[in-house]
Amino acid sequence: MIRKIISGNEAVALAVKLARVGVTGIYPITPQTTIIEKLAEMKASGEINTEIVRVESEHSAMAATFGAALAGIRSFTATASQGLLYMHEMIWWVAGSRTPVVMVVGTRAVGAPWNIWNEHTDFTSERDSGWLMAFASNPQEALDLTLQAFRISEDERVFLPMMVGMDGFILSHTKTNVIIPDQEDVDEYLPPRRQPYVIDPEDPVGMGNIFPPEEYMKLRQSIDLSIKNSEDVIRELGMEYNKKLNVLGDYSTLNVTYKLDDADYAVVVMGAWAGDTMEAIDKLRERGVKIGMLRIRYLRPWSEKEIRDALKDKKAVLVLDRSISMGRGGPLYVEIKSTISDIVPSIKGVVSGLGGVSVSKSDLLYLFEKFLQGIREDVLWYYPKEVGKIELRTPRDIE
Amino acid sequence: MSLLEYQYFPVTRPGKGAGGKTGSWRVFKPVVNYNKCIGCKACFMFCPESTIIPSDGKVRVDYEYCKGCGVCANVCPVKAIEMVSET
Repeated sequence: MIRKIISGNEAVALAVKLARVGVTGIYPITPQTTIIEKLAEMKASGEINTEIVRVESEHSAMAATFGAALAGIRSFTATASQGLLYMHEMIWWVAGSRTPVVMVVGTRAVGAPWNIWNEHTDFTSERDSGWLMAFASNPQEALDLTLQAFRISEDERVFLPMMVGMDGFILSHTKTNVIIPDQEDVDEYLPPRRQPYVIDPEDPVGMGNIFPPEEYMKLRQSIDLSIKNSEDVIRELGMEYNKKLNVLGDYSTLNVTYKLDDADYAVVVMGAWAGDTMEAIDKLRERGVKIGMLRIRYLRPWSEKEIRDALKDKKAVLVLDRSISMGRGGPLYVEIKSTISDIVPSIKGVVSGLGGVSVSKSDLLYLFEKFLQGIREDVLWYYPKEVGKIELRTPRDIE
Repeated sequence: MSLLEYQYFPVTRPGKGAGGKTGSWRVFKPVVNYNKCIGCKACFMFCPESTIIPSDGKVRVDYEYCKGCGVCANVCPVKAIEMVSET
């Protein structure tokens, strides 16, 4: 076990190396590019013997990864934003064929207009595809969750692909202290890959061909049940990870709480700004305000039980969203509201930080104070800086 | 629910398929006269639906998939296949 100052992308690349991934389908897109650069570098120096498949688009990157996975090889890819959208079709093919694949998403805003900065909308918009979805809040967690993703997705109770989200630039490019586990420990934690069916000339099968209506619906239900059942699997494998590999953090739960047990008020967040949120909560705690945080680590499976337990008997809950489901507020807000609306009297949402808008600790503090005084809107669009009014343009007649 | 009872996978084994079954609309069906059949397999070669199955040196017909087109009866060199009305 060694300590290194590395970025989130390098941490993910190291996790891929430690997991002994056989095939990586690569196509560069900001801010994920350095993951594959690092992998290519390691391949060039002979550190890993992963087959690196260079393809012509993200759609092909996922297709190549999918093909390798169907042949029974542990495979990996990474993407972001427009690339994830370009993969969208293949993402459903992988989920629908119930093939374990791991992908890391360096989350970023989706154009148009062109924007390369951090946001969660690309990640949350893949919510219904049938993938397990975890979200890291620091480079250490990005490494840990990527390693766990291989084990979870290949578990016989799950057999579904898994994606790990990571805030673009904020985590992907910022270097912090990361503890890298030893190869022997990882080998012990990650057994050789198992999967329900493989490409095999001795035992030919048809994969993903046409399914009549009832069979199709049965398959969809099976995926739904599998995602629900993965909750216990994640806890169980998380505890094993704690014991064998982990010295920081705790993976025995799906979601993480901070000073929440005795709190009257709760803030729900996902991703990197959990760090600033915790500091803002500390400041408020010094002033005697009983406030705590719930960090969503798994968007799918959505642990209704854990979230209800964490947020019961709170007076009010504020949900911070770095993504937006147009016309309904943030996706996290919608999910939380549907989970706890009968036990918490007041649930408010804030949408902020879209397209790389910087939200600092003092902004969060201001926001929480405003929340404690009572926000009028159900979903508040919060701009940390003063912004000019939206310029309205009258439609032009075309002659 | 017991372990793995919910697991279901989108895999199929190569088979004849349910889509090509004839149903109830066929008017004539081919009937093989085994006294005449010489086992030349001309009908097997020409059947557009692959419903003629060679067995024991002779042929038999898979009526589940046979459309009753009569090609087999036409190509039979010894006139061993007769089209019989089903209505």
